[in-house]
Amino acid sequence: MAKSFKSTRRGITGALEPGEARLLRALLDDVVAMLEPETAASEDPLAALVGMSGADTEVSAPGDSAVRRLLPDAVRGDDDEALAFRRLTERSLREQKMGALRASALLLETSPVTLNDEQARLLAQALNDVRLVLADRLSIESEADAERLHEIADSKDVDDVESYLALVYNFVTWLQESLVQAMLKAARLER
Amino acid sequence: MTVGFATGTDTREEVGTVEKTDPDQPWIVVVWNDPVNLMSYVSYVFQSYFGYTESKARTLMLEVHEQGRSAVISGTREKVEQDTVALHSYGLWATFEKAGSE
Repeated sequence: MAKSFKSTRRGITGALEPGEARLLRALLDDVVAMLEPETAASEDPLAALVGMSGADTEVSAPGDSAVRRLLPDAVRGDDDEALAFRRLTERSLREQKMGALRASALLLETSPVTLNDEQARLLAQALNDVRLVLADRLSIESEADAERLHEIADSKDVDDVESYLALVYNFVTWLQESLVQAMLKAARLER
Repeated sequence: MTVGFATGTDTREEVGTVEKTDPDQPWIVVVWNDPVNLMSYVSYVFQSYFGYTESKARTLMLEVHEQGRSAVISGTREKVEQDTVALHSYGLWATFEKAGSE
């Protein structure tokens, strides 16, 4: 079983079992694959440099509900405005997220894991994105849905794909919570 | 929002939020409640990204959780656009709008 993250003088440390680290790296890679842009990068080198997809006129709101949750509309109640903003910003957001997910997969190649503030932030972001995708696949739409799945905490509770996904979701939730608690503690000590 | 495991109950302070129309700060960023993001993580993002104190971050987080939305910062259109994308990079569900349009 993984050890929860702790804030120490050397940074934030944690330890995962090899099977847990393998599972997490596979999940991180899956989310990277979901975020790969569907259209080629803009050919305008300046636009490409600043991550502005000036020529991304093909971009529309993602069809997959999980990807739409990772890359949500920035404007509510105005689809045209939301789409115009998406065309300017979505590519760089995809790249930022893919960068955090890939960096996190690398960080989990060693155990125990020791993280500086920046690495801890990237891992917390990446685990959050993994949870958003799992939650979409598990149709977690309300706090009651999430509560219902809390009970699945042991492999003996698993009897189908959905309960396996719920077990994984609860594990990633526990891991992210422990990481964030360690980060908040570290921030308190810095003040 | 959700809790990963039991955390201590801090006392809640009154902190004025930014949902008032100020002619110099005509745009706001709104964060919406969702059942996945951890309460601790949302507080962490508000502290880390906006530089808010622990108690202000907690107040805003609870406002999102209990009221479904909270205006977390105001500023120029450029500023709120940038903040909205930054919050998306953290996985928060954020939008920007003109102050007073709700």
